[in-house]
Amino acid sequence: MRSEEVAVVGYGLFVPGFAGVPAWTKGVYDAAQSAPLALSIPARQRRRTSTLTKALADAYAEALAMANLAAPEVASVFASALGEASTMLGLLEQLWSEEGLLSPQRFVTSVHNAAAGVVSIAGGNQGFSTSLGADYDTPAMALAEGIGLVLAEGAAVVVCCGDEGISGDLVPAGKGWELMAAAIALVPSERAPTAAPRLRLEEGPVYGEADDADSSERWAPLALSHELASNPCVGLLELVDALARDKQGSVRLDRGQGAGYVAHLHRGKGSELRAGDPGSAERGVAP
Amino acid sequence: MSARPLPITGLALCNALGDSAAAVRDALFAGRSGLGPSPIPLPFETCVGAIDAALPPLPSALAAWDTRTHRIAALLLAQLEGELGRLRRRWSPGRIAVLLGTSTAGADVTEGAYRDYLRQGALPQGYDLFKQHTYGAVLHVVRELTGARGPAWVVSTACTSSAKPLASAQRLIRAGLIDAAIVGGIDTLCGMTLRGFHSLEALSPKPCRPFAAQRDGLNIGEGGAFLLVEREGEALALLEGVGESSDAYHISAPHPEGRGARLAMERAFAQAGCDPSSVDHINAHGTGTRLNDAAEAQAIAGLCGNEVPVVSTKGYTGHMLGAAGASEAAFAIFSLLEGRIPPSLGCLPLDEKITIRVCSEGVQARVRRVLSNSFAFGGNNVSVLLGATR
Repeated sequence: MRSEEVAVVGYGLFVPGFAGVPAWTKGVYDAAQSAPLALSIPARQRRRTSTLTKALADAYAEALAMANLAAPEVASVFASALGEASTMLGLLEQLWSEEGLLSPQRFVTSVHNAAAGVVSIAGGNQGFSTSLGADYDTPAMALAEGIGLVLAEGAAVVVCCGDEGISGDLVPAGKGWELMAAAIALVPSERAPTAAPRLRLEEGPVYGEADDADSSERWAPLALSHELASNPCVGLLELVDALARDKQGSVRLDRGQGAGYVAHLHRGKGSELRAGDPGSAERGVAP
Repeated sequence: MSARPLPITGLALCNALGDSAAAVRDALFAGRSGLGPSPIPLPFETCVGAIDAALPPLPSALAAWDTRTHRIAALLLAQLEGELGRLRRRWSPGRIAVLLGTSTAGADVTEGAYRDYLRQGALPQGYDLFKQHTYGAVLHVVRELTGARGPAWVVSTACTSSAKPLASAQRLIRAGLIDAAIVGGIDTLCGMTLRGFHSLEALSPKPCRPFAAQRDGLNIGEGGAFLLVEREGEALALLEGVGESSDAYHISAPHPEGRGARLAMERAFAQAGCDPSSVDHINAHGTGTRLNDAAEAQAIAGLCGNEVPVVSTKGYTGHMLGAAGASEAAFAIFSLLEGRIPPSLGCLPLDEKITIRVCSEGVQARVRRVLSNSFAFGGNNVSVLLGATR
């Protein structure tokens, strides 16, 4: 599979300690930013909202603002491998308690599309919204859905991926990961400024294999903490990092546990950038 | 701008009405409900739509993935054996997508595993989240059993989960990314959904009665449906349009006037380039809750008028949640193929505030275009418009 190109007009992220793209690219860890604030969600709703939904809402809001898109008019793809996992664990504990009674509020917000619903309500958006997952291919498949919307319907779309932190309750010790969320805003190429980066999605080749026909740069994975690098959605964080550093070339959207999809980036117009240091400082780790 | 209709070239079903498309079709047109007592012990009364049929185990190579959800998937694929063979001959594996929907995924397995974890401090031997619960698990099983190697994801938007992949398939084909897709969804009964809807006071203790004056809630069902959508091919029916919208109103309650529901229906007609007056039948979301049925009826009446025959099939299968959208699209195809509309079970006496034509009896008619509605938590709405080939 190799998609046609679409334009990237915005991006955003939330990683604990790095509330937004500027903090991330500068590598400035701020312990006070360890939790997402989700200020785009009304306070009453925010109080009932999970950490994952807040992180996705923050990444979404940053991408939307950078793209200068109107919240009521943009399509959205929210994606997560496990979705509202901690909410589900809370329900499971209630299920197996003596009474076996579930909290209706917790049940309602346990759905995978909780973030999609909360964000559409907060933004007054009656348009397209979806929520999907595909384990370690979640970022690639979210991009495929988003690119499909752009190419087939001419839509402006924000693709937002993230998974909350998970530890030993459902997975073996050492197999967990840390919270992260990332988002990119896509529009049809003909509707974007000529300088906006262009993106296409394609299957491999994977690391170690011959490069593809246009011999573009293939970026090595970011140096991240093990917990952050293990997040199934880390591929979208890698893509946002590449965009923020104005890189061109291919960014693999999984770290070897998925099907090997890559996002290929290049500038709409302007000089070719040399592939430089993709970021040697380990990120996602409190100093 | 309207989109070219796409052929739906195969369908498979398994639910409380039977373990084959033919069995389900026959039960629908016979007006035979599949609702009964819950096989899961519950501290309250309700009816469910449970699959009674034995589900064969997966092949030994997939033994670690052998769950109820995946057995349903395998059974559906077995129903499509001939069609899938033709699909593989016509299209390359990388151009065949797997686009599914679920709301429960492997929750039934994880419930049991987590009970062990809480009581014994460890997950049971053999439990593997990524082989038995996650979305990737069912995708792996379907890809292994079919050889499909194109894009693969699971939509999880609660009760619209398996309707939305029809739109995804349509877009990916139009965007030139794929040539065909295995589309559908599966949900299984589990304690969390049954007790969760009970906590919302949304379950009926008796068989549900969509659109009836005395309706008092829904019943949960389990099931699965797969449809094959292709760029071209010999069609059972045509996928003419899919409309999607958000209520932007409330996380779990529908907009009282069905604003988002109407938008989804309007968008389906707009995509198909046809007028709402051209629809011959509507398979309503029709859950049997006070709020849903009133809002949906208002939206249908406002857009399509009061004469089009409307049916809810929830009284046959229960609300199959993540499997409902694809299953009911298949029911709509039966109406196109057979020229018959099944009775809407339990609808009499009708709610007198509901003005649409809910069919209390089966109808034989020329059916050339059917709309199938699915609405969900999060204010997520999908309307699928299907057309006859003849």
